[in-house]
Amino acid sequence: HNVAQRGVQVSDCLRLCSVHRKRRRRTTWMSPRNLEFEPLSTTALILEDRPANLPAKSLEETQRHKMEYDEMVAGAKRREMKEAQRKKRQMKERHRQEDIISNAMVVWNNEILPHWDNVYVSGTRRVRELWWQGLPPSVRGRVWSLAIGNELNITPELYEIFLSRAKEKWRSYSETSSVNDSESDGGASLADRESSLDLIKLDISRTFPSLFIFQKGGPYHDLLHSVLGAYTCYRPDIGYVQGMSFIAAVLILNLEEAEAFITFANLLNKPCQMAFFRVDHELMLKYFAAFEVFFEENLPRLFSHFQTNNLTPDLYLIDWIFTLYSKSLPLDVACRVWDVFCRDGEESLFRTGLGILRLFEEVLLQMDFIHIAQFLTRLPEDLQAHTLFTAMANTHMISRSRRWAQVFSALMKDVNKEMDKNSSPALRS
Amino acid sequence: MAYAYLFKYIIIGDTGVGKSCLLLQFTDKRFQPVHDLTIGVEFGARMITIDGKQIKLQIWDTAGQESFRSITRSYYRGAAGALLVYDITRRDTFNHLTTWLEDARQHSNSNMVIMLIGNKSDLESRREVKKEEGEAFAREHGLIFMETSAKTASNVEEAFINTAKEIYEKIQEGVFDINNEANGIKIGPQHPTTNSTLSGSQGGQHAGGGCC
Repeated sequence: HNVAQRGVQVSDCLRLCSVHRKRRRRTTWMSPRNLEFEPLSTTALILEDRPANLPAKSLEETQRHKMEYDEMVAGAKRREMKEAQRKKRQMKERHRQEDIISNAMVVWNNEILPHWDNVYVSGTRRVRELWWQGLPPSVRGRVWSLAIGNELNITPELYEIFLSRAKEKWRSYSETSSVNDSESDGGASLADRESSLDLIKLDISRTFPSLFIFQKGGPYHDLLHSVLGAYTCYRPDIGYVQGMSFIAAVLILNLEEAEAFITFANLLNKPCQMAFFRVDHELMLKYFAAFEVFFEENLPRLFSHFQTNNLTPDLYLIDWIFTLYSKSLPLDVACRVWDVFCRDGEESLFRTGLGILRLFEEVLLQMDFIHIAQFLTRLPEDLQAHTLFTAMANTHMISRSRRWAQVFSALMKDVNKEMDKNSSPALRS
Repeated sequence: MAYAYLFKYIIIGDTGVGKSCLLLQFTDKRFQPVHDLTIGVEFGARMITIDGKQIKLQIWDTAGQESFRSITRSYYRGAAGALLVYDITRRDTFNHLTTWLEDARQHSNSNMVIMLIGNKSDLESRREVKKEEGEAFAREHGLIFMETSAKTASNVEEAFINTAKEIYEKIQEGVFDINNEANGIKIGPQHPTTNSTLSGSQGGQHAGGGCC
């Protein structure tokens, strides 16, 4: 019933939004019609003669003022007409987008999802195209979980088991910590507690703080806590690693609890995510190196600008890859990036990164180290999905006729060779 | 803007002690009670004046979780100053100082100035670490020490600036070789219009160019 309740909340929210939008639409529709006769902002502007206690205007002056007045009114009219037209265009575009989404929803629900296995395996051009345009929010979670799959064969029951273990741990922790709070320091038990329990609590409040839904008292606070807690019990060898809370949060926003956990665990089990969340530095460097191959190929000028400024990809990619862009991009744009990630896999994450660099290439070329570093670790909040996706579409993941996977495995072979020779001098500790 | 020197700083310490909040208070003069979690590293910059000279601080604000240590280690290189932060309301963050210090000493330039900071001094009622303990730790390890509050801005300005003063004095004494950029100090550009003059001092973390 939990899920059903949430469904109700969400649909209520959607209804509210659409009512709100309709109301706004009506007011914007009213104004352009009135405009022709009575520009709103200029009705208060009245041309008057000078007060009686001042010398009267000369005829010439009166005429000049009349002309100036007319020009001002005409100018204001023009501006308002333009603004009204812009709004009309915007509204049209929004309607168009809404139509596209509702059409897409029908196609996903009736044609694609019922035949998932066939469609997905064949990966038709049409489906891929539809996918690139963005999954309709109502099917997004389902498509994500199907695309990520469940190689680990986790069942909802297994989730419940790990969740109750996590709850057991929290209970015993809160009991012991209230008894001997500051006395017990050092030791493995503390490290264990710090890495899993305290930290999860601390980080949940720092996950999408501006949304106010994961913070204490927020509707999804406990859910996020549960999913992360269950994961640390399921994979104690990995435990909780910062960045996970963002991934779990995005999944919780799109999937029901157990399904979110299953998708979360399977997502983290992918090779790229595993390399990052294990903080396998050597392997991470290989991903960065592969990224640089495509960076140089796609954006040679920016690449050399970054090189002269010593701006290495780890400085910005770590945040981007760890959170799958959910922390650095606006949430709606991040969801579009996740759509493509579910379609194309890890390669798309690096393609997104290159898309961002391409989108801001001209600006970045004018910046020095610190400004680039600041810019890339705090991207503009008004970044639009369609501009990013155009930049991504113009990014080619082929270098000397090798694809991402080939470039990456070639770099991995280098590691093995180096290891054979018993030397890995280039790698930082 | 023209500057006489550029100093690279690194802010380290356990997660949640207020590293990013200290940086934000110093660069933007504001406090964000719920700050986004830092993954990897974030950056800040500000110009200060010492002895009538303009000094640009380039600040690297690192992630605090233990798992990220291997990444953070590569950011010490080329740092002239480090702010080692703990939370006076969480004893464990004070207990971990030794490992942080070992890490810092091992991976940085031996002349790097380290400022120990006990943050959240506004939360007196929840204090778990006495000020004297912080002072004693700093004395024992040859660090400068201050208690700060990123929330009220108390001592924040001082913490960043006193660290720079110490570095500046070391330059005057000739301890730092300012021509070696691995020391985290760069002499300001002769021609303030060129951008490329910043290169070299900051990245620093490559062993051999090429890969990352």
